Amino acid sequence: MKAISLNSQKKRGVTRRVKRALVYLGVIIISLWAVFPLFWMVIISLKERIYTYDPSVWIFRPVIDNYITVFTEKNLSKFLINSAVVAIFTTILALIIGTIGAYGFSRFKFKYNQAFLFFLLGIRMIPSVAIVIPIFILARFLHVLDTRILLIITYLIFNVPFTVWMMKGFFDEIPKELEEAAMVDGCTRIQTLYKIILPVVQPGLVATSIFCIISSWNEFVYALFLTSIKSVTTPTIVQMFLSIQGVAWGEMCAVGTVSILPVLIFAMIVQKNMIRGLSFGAVKG
Amino acid sequence: MNIRSKGVPARGKAHLPFVAPTMIIMILLIGLPIVSVVLMSFTNYELAMPPDSLRWIGLRNYTKLLFGQNKLLYYSLGISIGMMIIATAFQMVIGFISASLLNQDIKFKALVIACLIVPIAITPSIASQVWKLMLNSEFGVVNYFLKKLFGFSVVWLDKDNALLSILLVNIWLMTPYVTLILYAGLRSLPQEPFESAMIDGASSAQTLVHITLPMLKPLILITLLFRSIDMLKMFDIPYVLTQGGPGNISEFIGLHIYRTGFGVTTLVGQASAISVLLILIVCAICLLLIRLMNTKD
Repeated sequence: MKAISLNSQKKRGVTRRVKRALVYLGVIIISLWAVFPLFWMVIISLKERIYTYDPSVWIFRPVIDNYITVFTEKNLSKFLINSAVVAIFTTILALIIGTIGAYGFSRFKFKYNQAFLFFLLGIRMIPSVAIVIPIFILARFLHVLDTRILLIITYLIFNVPFTVWMMKGFFDEIPKELEEAAMVDGCTRIQTLYKIILPVVQPGLVATSIFCIISSWNEFVYALFLTSIKSVTTPTIVQMFLSIQGVAWGEMCAVGTVSILPVLIFAMIVQKNMIRGLSFGAVKG
Repeated sequence: MNIRSKGVPARGKAHLPFVAPTMIIMILLIGLPIVSVVLMSFTNYELAMPPDSLRWIGLRNYTKLLFGQNKLLYYSLGISIGMMIIATAFQMVIGFISASLLNQDIKFKALVIACLIVPIAITPSIASQVWKLMLNSEFGVVNYFLKKLFGFSVVWLDKDNALLSILLVNIWLMTPYVTLILYAGLRSLPQEPFESAMIDGASSAQTLVHITLPMLKPLILITLLFRSIDMLKMFDIPYVLTQGGPGNISEFIGLHIYRTGFGVTTLVGQASAISVLLILIVCAICLLLIRLMNTKD
């Protein structure tokens, strides 16, 4: 009897060890799978041109020729500056507009509270390609095509609803007593929001703005339709490499590496709030 | 999804100064394009046409699309909805499995999560371009590995495999999103039901079906909602990988709008009609999934 139970215990120990090995194997495969394209892009960007087409070359002397080319000949800095200007200004505007609205949604119960929130969620669902044509026509009519201000305003379409949902979540977490105390002390609601509440939700503001910056930086459809020469942003840079494929993969990868670097760093900063941002504020994470 | 307001009932119009500016701006920003796209869908508008030949043609764009000779709309809706279902299913299943793995007691968890954030943060159009290089049939690294390990290679972006390639990149790009959300969900589940299930001798499959999945249901449905709509919205990946080709094989609905209005033809009126149809379909799917969420609670 004892021998049997000992045997089964040993067996259970073995199966547990096998199970753990499988778990680690799975996790390693998933991690490699997730980072491999990034890794490959960096590799290609550092290869000399003659090795670009040979995936069997793994060990080579890295060169930065591709990076020099994209900054001198392909004018990458212009794209980066456009992207940065658009992302930063649309985020600032979205934060101002969205945070004030979110505070209202969080602190007051009124007739259309839920309907409005669902309306904002609905905007998140509308495919940008379905509304970009009228935006293009309107912009052409107003002579603002290919300007950064057009992109800044257009990006509010997805940034403001996101900010409202995110910040409403952060406001909901603040106990009401905090501001009631301030209001008893004679602060108006605006003063309370400005002096008491905003400092408390500062981490939320930072997380939300970083998410807005990332999604604006990566946005492709609006940028593709609404810009052509002056205000092109980095995601549409792939355009330049669609027609001449097979020629400049190294440069393409250099462009990709440079333009992905800032968002990757930003994303790592908001890791703690990543789940919240991904789910439109629905999951606290 | 916590939508109920915890706030105080607004006395009079106390909420208006906060809510009204946001709502007015958003209604203008989204209302203007939607009203114009609906109006334009009733016209014969073309990009390069002289302004005086603009005509109101009623429902003719719609009848041409729905009952005309060219069945491309149906094909493109078909592959879009097919891709939506298949890609979402893959993402949910792989995402759930990897979330369960992540939920185990493992070392270097932060590093694994950092790896998973890469596809989420990366610019999709640039990532697709890198995949295009990796999937190249002659000098792509994917075929290099396939040849080394299994002795065969695949022409990834030809007419037989274009859709498969797009599915593959889709799964790569979007699954980490599902993984991280479901991982957060798994982590937040209470421990007691699992402990009592273990005492009762439930198998892990039983625990999964009767405890884990029901408790995660709200979260799974929300993720499903976002994933499926995002699949319908997909534009960057096929645009970069195949541009809708070869022929029209991978002309998803978004690309169909683009090609009709700005690419192969410049029939903006007709492209607007497709846009209106797409918006209606998205609304229908949203309502369906939201109803599903509410009835099951």
